[in-house]
Amino acid sequence: MSKHKGNKADLAPSRHERKGLGQIILLLFLLLFTIFCFAPVLLVFISAFTDEIYIVQNGFSFFPEKWSMAGMKAVLKYGKQLFTSYAVTIFITVAGTFLGLLIMSMYAYSISRKDFRLSKFLSIFLLIPMLFNGGQLSGYIVFTNLYNLKDSLLLLILPLCVSTMNVIILRTYIANSIPGELMEAAKIDGAGEYRTFFQITLPLLKPSLAAVGFMMATAYWNDWQNALLYIDSNNKKPLQLLLVSIQKNISFLLNNNNVPATVRAAMGGAIPQYSATMATVIIVIGPIMVVYPFFQKYFIKGLTVGSVKG
Amino acid sequence: MKDFLKNTWKHRAHIVLALPAFLVLFFIMYVPMTGLVLAFKKFDYTKGIYGSPFCGLDNFKFLIASKATFITFTRNTLLYYVVFTVLGTLLNVTLAIAIDQCLFKRMAKTMQTLMIIPVFISYAAVQFIVFAFLSSDTGLINNALGTSTRFYTTAGLWPYILTIIKIWKDTGYGSVLYMSVLAGIDTELYEAAEIDGANKWRRIWHITLPSLIPMITVMLLLSVGSVMRSDTGLFYQVTRDSGILYSTTQVIDSYVLHAIFKNSNFGFTAATSFFQSIVGLLLMIFANWLVKKIEPDNALF
Repeated sequence: MSKHKGNKADLAPSRHERKGLGQIILLLFLLLFTIFCFAPVLLVFISAFTDEIYIVQNGFSFFPEKWSMAGMKAVLKYGKQLFTSYAVTIFITVAGTFLGLLIMSMYAYSISRKDFRLSKFLSIFLLIPMLFNGGQLSGYIVFTNLYNLKDSLLLLILPLCVSTMNVIILRTYIANSIPGELMEAAKIDGAGEYRTFFQITLPLLKPSLAAVGFMMATAYWNDWQNALLYIDSNNKKPLQLLLVSIQKNISFLLNNNNVPATVRAAMGGAIPQYSATMATVIIVIGPIMVVYPFFQKYFIKGLTVGSVKG
Repeated sequence: MKDFLKNTWKHRAHIVLALPAFLVLFFIMYVPMTGLVLAFKKFDYTKGIYGSPFCGLDNFKFLIASKATFITFTRNTLLYYVVFTVLGTLLNVTLAIAIDQCLFKRMAKTMQTLMIIPVFISYAAVQFIVFAFLSSDTGLINNALGTSTRFYTTAGLWPYILTIIKIWKDTGYGSVLYMSVLAGIDTELYEAAEIDGANKWRRIWHITLPSLIPMITVMLLLSVGSVMRSDTGLFYQVTRDSGILYSTTQVIDSYVLHAIFKNSNFGFTAATSFFQSIVGLLLMIFANWLVKKIEPDNALF
């Protein structure tokens, strides 16, 4: 007994203060992994400002000896298309995220009502697409042939709008972190279902909405696949398609060694310039990097997954 | 029945609230399920899905005829799933525990911020970063080693390359979900264990890990439904859909995407899609049944 007491006295402060060898090793391990994760991102930034001829002669480098702004200037050659693509990407990101958050939290709120008998059916209806779906080909044919939506921005918004996983996250948050009594109290005070949802539940759902919303926004921002499948006209092309088309031009030149000089000239700004390509990557990923730190604090609090069963 | 209708009427507001997402799910997820019937049809674009004539099992004959391709991309899909899932779960959990245990809180936080960044970079952008490392004449790796390995034409190296890219991209973010569980563990448990003389490793083994098991099970179960699906960007963009690499890099999803763009092998692709969806469903039901046997609380449905 006395020994236990002694241990407690010895150990209690240690949990908070002792940073021994083990901690140093742990820190080194984490540091190594951080470098592994972040170095490639850093390389993008360095290469974008590296002199083009330096890269051609010496290859990509973390410590280039010659810097240049030419890559960044070359990006401006895309001119109007760059602005159009930016506008399209921002539009689908903002519209999709807000629409998705609203209708998903409404759905999550409904299925979290315990005395609502249909909620069981709605939960299963939500879960099935996660277990079984038609696959890319069926989707492509239904969207283009049955709905006739080819080249429509709706196909950039709706497919990413409602995801089972996100509804589960929102539902878990409602069940775990929003006291049921609060919603009951609102009802007793005479607030209808809609008012309870919009004025009590929705504001309290904020941490989860922030985390899910940010993940949705990045999914919209990064979506190249739907754009590549469905979008034809230039004025609807999002940013990611710019990257894809640059890559296609590079492959084309790599696979055709005898492309005539005139064709190369005609491809203009799209000729594979290493620094310009990296500069384009920055233009595309930059906004997320800037916004992300503001949302990170909601991640751990807002992204809990609980039981799906009602 | 009357009870049920009464209950439904009482909750009409909830039905209205659920309706928009219900409709999106219906039109975006459920209607395309009916497209699977194309596996048994000879698709004619002008007649549409439901108007095209049935052709029995003809499309599946293509599967048998192009057995080699079919076996290759199915094998790749499954192997990558197993490697990514096992390795991914291990690393996510390890990293979550490591960050949680680190007493240099502020530094750990900053490092975590940097580790999560790759998940926000689209594969359309990632492939340029990969190129900077792997290019045969300007690539960092060849420069550092003084070699001139032609990565983009050497299929044998890609299982390693793709695994490393996957770890790089997803581990930082993958650990967040587990950290949210760790944050919820009652610290009194640790203190009690400490008083009982349990050292750090024993505390991790007996308290931390068991509390992560439900989350690990849920995440694994959820992933089983997508065994036959892959991160298309990784296999289509990063490999630049290069034919020379198909033997180790083509998965079902990248094959289908390629087929849609090239407008080729329609029957074969439809049969493959059907196979992909059905196998995914069966595996999911099996996995859930298995979990239910062992630990009913962790089952999904």
